[in-house]
Amino acid sequence: MKKLFLISACIFTVLAITLSVLPFDTLAFLPIGLAIVFGLLLLKKSEGQQKKLPKILLSISVLCSVFVLGKTLLIKDEVAKDTQFEKEKIETKQEAKKELEEIEGLE
Amino acid sequence: MKKIFFIFCTVCLVNSFTTNGQAIKSGEKLVFAGSYNMSGLMTQLAQVTMSTETLATAKNSYLHLSCELSTYSKWDSFFKIRDIYESYVNPQTLKPSLYKRSIDEGGWTKKEKYAFKGNTVNSTAKKRNKPETNKTFTIGASTQDVISMFYKVRTVDFSKFKEGQTQTLMIVFDEKQVPVTLKYMGKETVSAGNLGKKECYKISIGAKTDALRGKDKNLIWLTADAKKVPTLLKFSIPVGTGQLALTSASGI
Repeated sequence: MKKLFLISACIFTVLAITLSVLPFDTLAFLPIGLAIVFGLLLLKKSEGQQKKLPKILLSISVLCSVFVLGKTLLIKDEVAKDTQFEKEKIETKQEAKKELEEIEGLE
Repeated sequence: MKKIFFIFCTVCLVNSFTTNGQAIKSGEKLVFAGSYNMSGLMTQLAQVTMSTETLATAKNSYLHLSCELSTYSKWDSFFKIRDIYESYVNPQTLKPSLYKRSIDEGGWTKKEKYAFKGNTVNSTAKKRNKPETNKTFTIGASTQDVISMFYKVRTVDFSKFKEGQTQTLMIVFDEKQVPVTLKYMGKETVSAGNLGKKECYKISIGAKTDALRGKDKNLIWLTADAKKVPTLLKFSIPVGTGQLALTSASGI
């Protein structure tokens, strides 16, 4: 059972780090939560020097949760200024005017 | 994302209801936050901007209806989306003359153009790394493109509708006519971005397409006033669920 907790805690901690770094917002809380649960279970089953690893895993998970919470609360979702896209919009509008005049010519 | 946008458009197709003839203003801008349900949590993915402006040719004046979809910058490195859907319509009747669609979704591109002449549509489509295709097909007298229909729905007087009332209508999408069934589901109060909390008309959409799933799971809320601003859209598609929530409305 302890081995299962150890493997699960490690896997979910890695997932927690990955999803925290990637722009998955609060979705990262899923692996973080599971990493904390398995980390605590592992801590309970461990004795003496064995408690070091679950403590590290728990610390990482808590740091990840603080990082994700900070990102969610402090970083505003914004669309980057895209000059290429803006240029395309102007061009398509100019094309549309010509196309409308062609349609008018056919009527 | 294409499906999300399709739903966003199709859920608004309520034009067969009686209209009160109110025109859509030029200079309007509606901004939505698009979210997708990932493992039970709504994750914001993209911004959808709908705007109107006047475009004049030598002969006529058109209302240019534009819908842009852009992923938030945090997603751009992983899956960048830049879509534009446009319709050029008669400012009074909202009948389309030209519909254009330009999509770029993670490098996959497609350009599409429909030229409306009476009941005939000349379409041109160009996908990435594929030759351009042309097609001519006929549509019904009241069939419109998805964008112009979205605006036409806002000229409808919903105050006369009864709960459960349904209506079937046609839109043209992907060079095909798609029947859409709409159901008026009463009123609800929802958050409407900078407009605050608003009482809204709730409408359920069912389309005979693989893009939509579930009964009464594709919904749109329109403010229960003369402006009928879309405030919230919820959709259910084969790959999950999501929503578009109004964040700001200006020029209405």
